[in-house]
Amino acid sequence: MDVQALIKEQVTSNPVVLYMKGSPRAPMCGFSQTAVQILQACNLPLFFSVNVLEDPAIRDGIKVFSNWPTIPQLYIRGEFVGGCDIMREMYHSGELQKLLEGIAAPD
Amino acid sequence: MMDSEQIKQIIADGLRCEVLHVEGEGEYFQALVVSAEFAGKNRVQRQQMVNNLLRTHFDSGALHSLSMKTITPGEWSVLRG
Repeated sequence: MDVQALIKEQVTSNPVVLYMKGSPRAPMCGFSQTAVQILQACNLPLFFSVNVLEDPAIRDGIKVFSNWPTIPQLYIRGEFVGGCDIMREMYHSGELQKLLEGIAAPD
Repeated sequence: MMDSEQIKQIIADGLRCEVLHVEGEGEYFQALVVSAEFAGKNRVQRQQMVNNLLRTHFDSGALHSLSMKTITPGEWSVLRG
């Protein structure tokens, strides 16, 4: 499977996907850490995440996928939501909590 | 590595801005961009407009991160009160 198809499958088969540097328990970049904290503050302690540092093809491919040059990137129900700035704005306005309504953490 | 003046110049050359502030150094920069060209665009599209101007610098690794606030003059006047 090529990387664009793989990303497409990841974002459509999981309700929430965060592409980040490191893992939720050990973020490797301040922006990724902020993204994790925002999701956790939205009552989503667990979510599907992809550590781009472990996969150079995804690290490059995800930038092409949504024409977005930086990591982290958040997808909800297959839609690209944004990076760290947008997550922060949408958290403060309550829009992010609304988008995440009805989504439970994976088992 | 880029400096804030370079980033500011590139944005100013590609986008008509009412207000444009860029600060930061090294790997971390922040920008406030107020432009009428953002009208009718969502948050993602607005940041894409700015990022696309800087694309070659992101691709080369010269620019690592640019946090930004992208708003229209109308939104700016509301924010300022």
